[in-house]
Amino acid sequence: MATGAPAVREAKEIGRPANLLVTTFQQIWGSYTLRTILQALITIWAVITFTFFLIRLMPGNPVDVYVDYLINLENLSYEEALSRAASQFKFDPNESMIQQYLRYMGQVLRLDLGESITSTGTQVLDQILRFLPWTLFAAGSGLLIAFVVGMILGVIMAYNRNSWADNALSLFAAILSAVPNYIWGLLILIIFGVQLNLFQIGELRGTYDPTTTPGFNLPFIISVLEHAFLPVLVYVMGIVGSWMLNMRNSTVSVLGEDYVNVARARGLSQRRILTAYVGRNASLPMFTLLAINIGLILGSSVIIEQLFVYKGMGDFLIWSITQRDYTSMQGVFLVITISVVLSNLIADLLYSQLDPRVRVGEGSR
Amino acid sequence: MSEIPEKRKIEPESSFLGDLMVPLKVFGKALWRNKAGLVGFIGLVFFLLLITIGPVLVPFDDQVKLDQIAAPPGSRLQLLVHADDAERFRSLQDFEGQGVLAYVEKTGAEDLVAPYVDDPNYTIEDFRFRSGRGVRESVDALARDEIDGLIIFSENVRMIVNGPDAPEAYQNLVVSNEGLGVPHLLGTDTQGRDIFSHIVNGGGSLIVTALLAGMFSTLIAIVLGSVAALQGGLPDRMLTAAANFVLTIPRFPLLVVLAVLVGDQLSNFVLLAALIASLSWPVLMRAIRSLVLSLRERDYVEVARALDLGTGHIIMREILPNMMSFVAINFIFATTAAMYLQIGLIFLGMAPITDYSWGVMLYFGRTRGTLFSADSASMVLSPVIAIALFQVSLVLFARAVEEMFDPRLRSA
Repeated sequence: MATGAPAVREAKEIGRPANLLVTTFQQIWGSYTLRTILQALITIWAVITFTFFLIRLMPGNPVDVYVDYLINLENLSYEEALSRAASQFKFDPNESMIQQYLRYMGQVLRLDLGESITSTGTQVLDQILRFLPWTLFAAGSGLLIAFVVGMILGVIMAYNRNSWADNALSLFAAILSAVPNYIWGLLILIIFGVQLNLFQIGELRGTYDPTTTPGFNLPFIISVLEHAFLPVLVYVMGIVGSWMLNMRNSTVSVLGEDYVNVARARGLSQRRILTAYVGRNASLPMFTLLAINIGLILGSSVIIEQLFVYKGMGDFLIWSITQRDYTSMQGVFLVITISVVLSNLIADLLYSQLDPRVRVGEGSR
Repeated sequence: MSEIPEKRKIEPESSFLGDLMVPLKVFGKALWRNKAGLVGFIGLVFFLLLITIGPVLVPFDDQVKLDQIAAPPGSRLQLLVHADDAERFRSLQDFEGQGVLAYVEKTGAEDLVAPYVDDPNYTIEDFRFRSGRGVRESVDALARDEIDGLIIFSENVRMIVNGPDAPEAYQNLVVSNEGLGVPHLLGTDTQGRDIFSHIVNGGGSLIVTALLAGMFSTLIAIVLGSVAALQGGLPDRMLTAAANFVLTIPRFPLLVVLAVLVGDQLSNFVLLAALIASLSWPVLMRAIRSLVLSLRERDYVEVARALDLGTGHIIMREILPNMMSFVAINFIFATTAAMYLQIGLIFLGMAPITDYSWGVMLYFGRTRGTLFSADSASMVLSPVIAIALFQVSLVLFARAVEEMFDPRLRSA
């Protein structure tokens, strides 16, 4: 929330006059940016509010879950278990929801996500900072690799459209995206891990080999890469197909445009046509896809991280849901939402940078 | 997409059958041209038969057969005899007045010997299972020559008789008959139940739920998208904002929370489908909104509006028929997405387990560790392949439909 403020100020400062033409241009740009950022902030607030109440509507609360646990595993009576749970948790099930909400919003504004309810003494923010980098690393590399590979293959397919290679790649892309990514993950585990014994599944659990010391040393980096390899591969397999097909179709339609023919007629080099005319225009729709894909990949990380026992945000979310750890759940949703909103924002701003028509069109409305 | 109404009006007085034949011919031609689409179509027909007729032909195997646990595909019962009897005893009938035939209870051999049990010409002995010891006892009895033949599961032959710690006395035992009874085509699960029967019976609920969810989300998208585009103004802004809002929260985590919230009632598949649909409509809704925005500028819509035919008429009669192909294709994609969400939910154990579907098989494969053992791979691999094939069939078919409606996609 607080991070939005400096950006807003910055946007206003950019609008300061230099000369008349630049001023009008910058004002339009400024208002476009301003509006986009404001919308993002409102969205984040709405999501916090929505998930806050949704999470607290879930049957059972953390105290109940812990009481159940104590009764079943330590054979305590209900009263004993309740008093033990009450003394351990700071959570008060009798506080009204509105009070909880206002208190929480106040905390969030101060960038404080509160304390984890079930693991007392642990700050949710610390937990998130512990798990988030791994998810960002794995899902981010997956997204980036899929983006680059998909764009390149898409352009190749478009340039050779209706050839056997195009048809084969289209079919391949369709099959890749048809099958759920966790199904690919299971197939890889069963075929390459269990049947062919190419890798040891047990050793690849977690985010890195616990015998290495975290830091900037070779064994640690190698183990991190090894452990992330399968999740990243599966993320890529899940989304690269849609990138390929979208980039292909987008490039095909750009190749049919008059300005490409004109560029050809002018005798421009293939390379220049590809980069300045085709590539730039064909990749425009990809930026709107980027935001959707970030949501998809963060969502699927919940399953993929469970499958590969990769300790990231998705794994943490499932844990906090089963424990009914409200503050942790809330924190995860907040972070996921901020990442999606932020990437939407970046995609929007990048789009407006790449395609001036957007910001002029939006600004003059 | 706009060519369709013209096509319809070619022969206004043609018969019902003739009307039906034209699109069927177009459809057949499109599939013939797109071989991958044909494969997808055949796959879909196969799955349709599998979930309708399959359960009648292959009933769900609920019989716990304790000594056939997690056996690999192709396993079946075998006849174990002494080496010098191998020529004499080749089938169960050879035991008529000849010797003692034995089997172990609860191993599925009961069905095989049932016709002979009451026949005075046969001597049939049964060993009690007693938590697995019965199998070894029966082999011991055979080795001691107390019985002449033993019906035993091929896995047990491999483990007990041919295994590295088999006693010397087992050396002269041979399998005289390669396989009795119905083989377990895909092996057995952790309770010795036939996996093939689970694959046949476990697809119906998933496919029906996915189709329902796809239908619901497509309907929501059509209604909200057309209303937003045709009404404009405040309704449009509110609906678009709602769509963007739902898109902002990643779908799967939200679905998990909602599933926990709904709890056991989620075993109602209509509710599950509705829940999935409530999170899946926004992308299609935005696409339909922009499609309707462009369609509404067409002349025939302008005419309808000028004639004051009403929003309902404009949507149902003028706009909807012109985006049917788009809707049909997106319905298929919504179905595949619903399959993803639904099975993911079951896989994580976040949906109540009501019937033994492919998703539940995956869940047990993960939680019972069969995923990590080479011999029991079939328990996870079978549903994995079933799901993958279904999804691929759907998508290949969707591509053929897309090509049928959009001639520009046809390869030369």
